[in-house]
This record gives sequence, structure tokens and C-alpha cells, in this order.
Amino acid sequence: MAAMSLLLRAAAGWGAGRAASGAAAGARLPWLARAARLPGTVAPVRHSSSHGKRMFIIKATSFYDTRFLNLLRFYVFLTGIPVALFITYVNIFIGEAELAEIPEGYIPEYWEYYKHPISRWIARYLLDPPEKDYEKEMALLDVEAKKTELRLMQLEARRLMRHRGDGPWYHYETPDKNLVDNSMKSTPDN
Amino acid sequence: MPEDRDWEAYKVPPTRTPESERITSVPNPITFIQTVFNYVIDAPVTFVREWIERQQAKNKFYYYHQKFRRVPDLSECLEGDYLCFYEAEAQWRRDRYGWFDQEIVEIVRERLGACKQREGPNQFQNCAKEMEQLAQVTKAYQDRYGDLGVHGNARTCLMKQKHRMMEERKAQAKASQ
Repeated sequence: MAAMSLLLRAAAGWGAGRAASGAAAGARLPWLARAARLPGTVAPVRHSSSHGKRMFIIKATSFYDTRFLNLLRFYVFLTGIPVALFITYVNIFIGEAELAEIPEGYIPEYWEYYKHPISRWIARYLLDPPEKDYEKEMALLDVEAKKTELRLMQLEARRLMRHRGDGPWYHYETPDKNLVDNSMKSTPDN
Repeated sequence: MPEDRDWEAYKVPPTRTPESERITSVPNPITFIQTVFNYVIDAPVTFVREWIERQQAKNKFYYYHQKFRRVPDLSECLEGDYLCFYEAEAQWRRDRYGWFDQEIVEIVRERLGACKQREGPNQFQNCAKEMEQLAQVTKAYQDRYGDLGVHGNARTCLMKQKHRMMEERKAQAKASQ
């Protein structure tokens, strides 16, 4: 790394010398000028000590980038490392299940159909048995089926009552017959 | 740990290269490389693996393949009986995607692949049985589940079967005329 910085400094000094000598030189041999490029602008600084010319390299800030990456790494590893260690422990010391034939007369529990011990634990303690899930879905379907049936029957009843007029629905308020004035039709010559 | 495949299923026939006699006195460098590999890589890895298996052997537990009961098919369900539809649909899905039809096709294809790998240049002659089996199985799968598409369910499959039977009947009637 020290050699690299020395090389960069030597190249920068040489490049600065070449830039000072004229742009014509750079135009003729552009590949030389490109090889001596450092990141950012290079400004030579006084008080050159024994290591050669000191450079003050002006470049855009990387403070925010490094801060972000550091924080990202910290928060990812904060829970990532314990989880990784736990999973390694489970895989090494507990190990996966072996496949076996179902013994005669034995009904395995619903979590014994999984291989990895963590899947078994989740199936046993966190999730419902698949039979219960199945029955829950069937109960939902049953309720919805009954609802559709009742709705269809209601529509049919409405249609019939409207058509026949002999049911409790579709009764409309009509004015009282005592209020009707029949004087216009009382004599035949009107 | 992922399991190795079943070594007994597709056994490679023993090699028939003859034993050659040593001509030179220069030792075979392959034996040296083999011993180096054994000591540097094989022995430590085997030791660690066996240690891990000893730890795991202290409490063994097993898992099983679930066997599902057969329920009435979609053709045996009354109309409007949504619970029956649901159970028949679940059974059809298990049959198609679960352990039966797709896995059967996969296994037959793997057998053909293993046969080709084993036989090398003789594959077209010696693997005819496996090829025939694969052709039959894929034709059956295509007939049953072929063009149903990604949204195919038990009902569309039943309709496809109904159309197939109608066409067979028509073909029979035409053939008998």
C-alpha cells in the first residue's frame, strides 16, 4: 500500500509536470496523461517533507455512503448472527429426521410428516393441524353455500309474490274508498 | 443435508478395462495424488461428518409420508354440494401435482436419462424399453391433463374426459358402420 501511494505520488508529480509543460504534449500522447490520473482533483501542497510531494486530494464525500453501509451491516448482523448460530446448532446437534415406513397400527401426529426439526417445531406449536385448516375452509364454504341458497330462495319468493300478489310483500297504500267522490258518475247523463 | 440419490436404483455395470502391466519403473503419480487427497481433504472431512452424525444419533426421530384417504370423485358429487366439490378438487390437486402423476413422469424420465448415461453410444438400441415407457406415460399424462392450462381444475379435467369419451364413442360408431 505504501508502494502504491508512492507510485501514485510519483505519477501525480510527473503528470503535474507534464500538464505544466503544455497541453500540446497531452494532445499528442493522451494515453500518458490518462495513466497518471488520481481520484478527484489533485492540488499540490507546500511543506514537502522527505517523502516527496504531498498531495491534497479533493474528491466528493464518502461519509454518508460509509455511514449507511456500516449501519446496514450492523443492523443486519445484529439479528442475523444469532439466527445463523441457532440454525447451525440445530443442524449439527439435532439433525434432520429420517424417512421411515409408518409402523402398523400407529397414526403419526401431523408434525411428524416434516423433515427439518425447525419445520416440525413450527408445525407443532405455531400452526394449526392441516385437518383443522381443512375443516375451517369447509365450514367457510358451508356457510357461503347456505347463504347463496337462502338468497336464491328469497329472490324466487319475491318474484312469485310480485307476480301472484297473494303474499305479505308488495302491498301498496291506496286511499280510503269513503273519500272517493262518486257524484260525477251518479247520474247516467254526465 | 441434501441426500444422495439412491445408488442402487441405476447401477452402472462394472468396467471392463483390462489390467495393464507396468512397463516403466517410474511410480504412478496418481497414487501420490490420491494419498495426498486422502490425508489433506478426505480424512478431516470424514472425521467431522462422523462426529456430527454421532451427535445426531443420540436422539433419533423419524418422518413419514402422509397417506390420504380416497374421497368421492367429482363425478360422484351432487350438484350444489360445494363441500364435495372442495374435497374432490383437493384430491385431484394432490393427484396431479403432489406425489402421483407429475412425479411418475419425472421418475420415468430420470430412468431414461440414467439409461442413456450408462449406455453411452449404445443408447438407441439398449434403452428402447425405457423410451417406450416414457412415451406411454407422457401420452397418458397429456391425454389426462394436457391442455387444461394453468387454471385447470378438477371440473375442467372432468369435462375434458367427457369430451374424450364422446369422441371415442363417435369413432367406435363410425368404425362399426
